[in-house]
Amino acid sequence: MTDARATPELSVIVPVGGRVDDLAMLIGEYADAFDAARVSYEIIAVLDGRMDRVLDSLHGGRVTAERLRIIELSRAFGESAALMAGFDAARGEILVTLPAYYQVEPRAIPKLVAALSSDDDMLVAVRWPRAGTFLERLRRDAFHWLFAFVSRLKYRDLGCGVRIFTREVADEIPLYGDQHRFMPALAQRRGFRVREIELAQSPKDRFRGRYRLREYLHGFLDVLTVFFLVRFTKKPLRFFGTVGFLAAGFGGIFVAVLVVQRLFFGIPLADRPALLLGSLLVVLGVQVFALGLVGELIIFTHASDMKEYTIRSVIQASETGTDRDEEPRTLRQPGERIVR
Amino acid sequence: MDLSVVVPLYNEQESVELLHRRISDALHESGLRYEILFIDDGSKDRTLAIAAAVAARDPRLRVIEFRANYGQTPAMAAGIDLARGRIIATMDGDLQNEPRDIPAMLEAMDDATDMVVGWRKNRQDKLLTRKVPSWIANRLIAKVTGVSIRDNGCSLKLYRASLIKRVPLYAEMHRFIPAMASIAGARVKEVPVTHHARQFGASKYGLSRIYKVLLDLLSIKTIIGFAQRPLLWFGLLAMPFFIASIVALVASVLPLFSAGGRLILPYAGTGVLFGALALFLIMGGAVGELIYTTGNVDLSEYSRILAMPRHEAANRKPGRAAGGETADD
Repeated sequence: MTDARATPELSVIVPVGGRVDDLAMLIGEYADAFDAARVSYEIIAVLDGRMDRVLDSLHGGRVTAERLRIIELSRAFGESAALMAGFDAARGEILVTLPAYYQVEPRAIPKLVAALSSDDDMLVAVRWPRAGTFLERLRRDAFHWLFAFVSRLKYRDLGCGVRIFTREVADEIPLYGDQHRFMPALAQRRGFRVREIELAQSPKDRFRGRYRLREYLHGFLDVLTVFFLVRFTKKPLRFFGTVGFLAAGFGGIFVAVLVVQRLFFGIPLADRPALLLGSLLVVLGVQVFALGLVGELIIFTHASDMKEYTIRSVIQASETGTDRDEEPRTLRQPGERIVR
Repeated sequence: MDLSVVVPLYNEQESVELLHRRISDALHESGLRYEILFIDDGSKDRTLAIAAAVAARDPRLRVIEFRANYGQTPAMAAGIDLARGRIIATMDGDLQNEPRDIPAMLEAMDDATDMVVGWRKNRQDKLLTRKVPSWIANRLIAKVTGVSIRDNGCSLKLYRASLIKRVPLYAEMHRFIPAMASIAGARVKEVPVTHHARQFGASKYGLSRIYKVLLDLLSIKTIIGFAQRPLLWFGLLAMPFFIASIVALVASVLPLFSAGGRLILPYAGTGVLFGALALFLIMGGAVGELIYTTGNVDLSEYSRILAMPRHEAANRKPGRAAGGETADD
């Protein structure tokens, strides 16, 4: 094996948040898997907030400081922020994210590493064959169907935290909020080549909690956010304008009908509460429209900061080669602390 | 470098070689120092491979490979960002523009001109799906922006690099560059150009554009027409609603003055609603002001850029000795 002090080929980022299994053991199994894959690697565990027990168990674990770096965030920022902190600390050219609990069989990981070819920018795992009750499957399918419907991108397992991708993907996809789940979709949208790969699900991957209404709502709003980001970032008026136009249009027709009835059929307007509904729709439509215009102003004033394209290569005789376009890092998380 | 020709390509495998030959022939005769930039916008056919092969033979051609299909405006923006010429020409990759028009347009590009736009006098396209929408769009753009350019959709355009490199290009704004620029004070000239019928492949646009153009136009109007005074503009927008609100409120209280009269609730409600909308719009304008102050675009900057060339005349003229501040390689 190569010296772990040298720059590793692979950086493995394990964001440790809400759901944690026996982390020391799990990371041991991950390490075994990468040893079996015969690559040089480093594992970066990012603790999202203070977790003294986890920290102790990691210090007592069998993966040593040569291979394992631990980053502790000063408070819980969420999984996306933890991942970003991990990306910043990673030294490898290939990055792997793995969950802090059993999702896939650690033994299946060499398959993931081997599958990344030079034609791919990112591979995401699909847990398959997949356990789960009928209700769980239904919920899952509904979520992915909704996502595919609004984004026009098809994914089978967005909940899976097992991904392998190149440095560039991490550099160009800013993650915040709960967007880590949609990272493959955002990457694909940005022009990276993303592929799904089936990995065996771990028998220990069972979610024991109950899904509350809040989770459903969050999931739904997340999909909406991504939908908006993916389709309308640069042209907010296309979105707001359509919604506003429909509302104002319906309201306008409503009011017009009432006015015509007043003028030509003598039905007095004063007795018609429907007038209120019509005006309300017009008001709503104009407001939504105005929001869209404000959105356009925002985009315009920041247009020079945002590049809408990324260049894979520039080809010219005499100096045929690749010119990679550097995009500035956009998100830096405060409060990182390197533990060891 | 006098001239950079920027050509976005998307699935144009049949046209690439011919296009390169035509541009080279047209510019070779003129004796200009030029470069050609082909931007492959994530084509799914062999466009990139062919373009790369051509680039291997001609050092004056640069091929820029996009990672994915981002659209025509980003492709043009990329070409403009990377162009090194003092004048930048943009054109379509589908052979419908004639590169032989470029020298004539260069002639028109004198010191008092910032932009020369092609005008497809005899347009070779389908009447119903291309010409009519385009005619409507041009009329709309002229009406809304107050700048009458007969053919906004013609891709064959020449810009002074110092100007175009600073105009933010995003979404589908390439259509509005002349309008935007001339509102900002740029001097635009129109030159009739040849237009060929499509030889290969299918057209990539359709009727649905009108709706998009309409919405884009409204954005442009907000952005440019009322550039640094969003509050004023939103205030104007709020006016009719404010008046409607007053009228409705007055109508609702009028009966109170006659004996036994009661407040007319639907009128009062409507009045309050419209009043609220007017207030909301003015607040929106205030947010707009905030955005402008914090944003990094100063429109007056454009007028400054535009005012520049009058003083430093000779240097800018293409074909003459290279001058002063522009880097030549």
